[in-house]
Amino acid sequence: MNTMIKVARYHLVQPVLFVMLPLAALAFVFAVNAARGGATFRGGLAVIFVLFFGMGVQRIGRWLPFGLALGATRRSFYAGTALLGVSMSLVYGLVIAGLQAIERATGGWGQSVNFFQVPSLPLNGPWYATWLTSFVGLSLMFVYGMWYGIVNRRWGMLGLLAFLAVQVLAVLAVYSLAGLGRHFASLSALEMTGVIAGLTVVCLAGGHATIRRATV
Amino acid sequence: MTPAISVTGLTRRYPDQVALDDVHLTIGTETITGLLGRNGAGKTTLLRILAGQEFPSSGSVRVLGSPPAENQNVLRRLVLVREDQVYPDFQVYPNFKVSHALRAASFCYPNWDAGLASSLLKDFGLRAGKAIKSLSRGQRSALGITIGLAARAEVTLFDEPYAGLDAVARQIFYDRLLAEYADFPRTVLLSTHLIDEAAALFENVVVIDRGRVVLDTAADGLRGMVTTVSGPVLAVDSFTQGRPVWERRGLGSQASVVMVGQVSDDDRERARSLGLDLTPLSLQQLVIRASGGSAGAGSLTMRTSA
Repeated sequence: MNTMIKVARYHLVQPVLFVMLPLAALAFVFAVNAARGGATFRGGLAVIFVLFFGMGVQRIGRWLPFGLALGATRRSFYAGTALLGVSMSLVYGLVIAGLQAIERATGGWGQSVNFFQVPSLPLNGPWYATWLTSFVGLSLMFVYGMWYGIVNRRWGMLGLLAFLAVQVLAVLAVYSLAGLGRHFASLSALEMTGVIAGLTVVCLAGGHATIRRATV
Repeated sequence: MTPAISVTGLTRRYPDQVALDDVHLTIGTETITGLLGRNGAGKTTLLRILAGQEFPSSGSVRVLGSPPAENQNVLRRLVLVREDQVYPDFQVYPNFKVSHALRAASFCYPNWDAGLASSLLKDFGLRAGKAIKSLSRGQRSALGITIGLAARAEVTLFDEPYAGLDAVARQIFYDRLLAEYADFPRTVLLSTHLIDEAAALFENVVVIDRGRVVLDTAADGLRGMVTTVSGPVLAVDSFTQGRPVWERRGLGSQASVVMVGQVSDDDRERARSLGLDLTPLSLQQLVIRASGGSAGAGSLTMRTSA
């Protein structure tokens, strides 16, 4: 536990990346969307999810070697990094929920802008549901990014191709199973959040198993 | 007493080569050991395995009594300073600075000495606010040395710690290492190519060649153990008769022979009367020969216990 906290502190010695970068990116994409106007949802909110994926990749690719040099084990590095990513997801989930509430209350920032209300996803309900869903979604992206980074470190480009191929096959298999695809489409917001949470746990376990033999 | 480092039958195979081949090694606590050998001999692989950064293919490794890999209890008492250390430096803003690296080290190492770290930075002329990506090779080495010494870890591993450092900075490193070692004794294993320069530091010397330990001995035992005898052919032959000889060179009536074994006072007296020159081999020359230089591969495998 102690080392987990140390790893999290290590990631935060240069806090700008974690604290400011997602906010800055969100502000930029929001400004572009607002300038174009219109009530159509264009998916700008996805930028923060993509960013969390990228942060997960970076924390393994860039931060692992010095982390191990500082005496962390792979397991404690993984646990500490995941802990920080999930905590950041909690914070940014709240930011999304708050901004969504403001958007709704101000009639789309007074301009009918629809940025934070995602119509077809469970990101359109009460603030706590939005918080929960975006928390789980951001966590998934971060943890998946870490796993991706670990696969890259261990097996390089060929490993990544195999990793992605397996995922495509898994998705195809799920959808080809009669009725399963349709079943997903009919899930409620909360059930969908549950599925994302399940995927997060799968990625968390996968990354944990993969980092055990990573070398620097 | 448990040795600080104990390695038996350690082998590390890669698809294209064998980096370490049946290595046996024991290093006592509170000693300074030189780890010497050519590029690609296996020094870095050995140090990475000792630090739990790499895994053995077979064999057993114990550091402070336990296998180091994924062992928090060992790793928090160990530091490895690598020549090719990767820091979390980015190509774009924000910069990861020297001060960030030191701050991270300060809460990871229980014995961290912040005063020592800042005085080392001052000696090396390294600014804490400098971005790591803009450091020169020598400055990166200075940062590694600072972390390695200020960590005050029970097991301190240096892999080519002073690449790119100038002579003055290298002397600072030697002086600080010895002073620190006196204040806070620890087990130091140092790999280097500047053998004669660092020779005075070493209590023990380990030479690796092509993944094998070819020499593992106390440095004191080595001094004067191998001697070059030169002079008239007949006198040289009569002097070296019955002694192990590594190399023999002749030039007309003169000969030069590299002879193994301590030279006694009687031997010296005899050499003088025969008109022979006795020159002890320096550590560097010894390592060159032990690494299969002019003595030929495999002709020498010395294991002296001191």
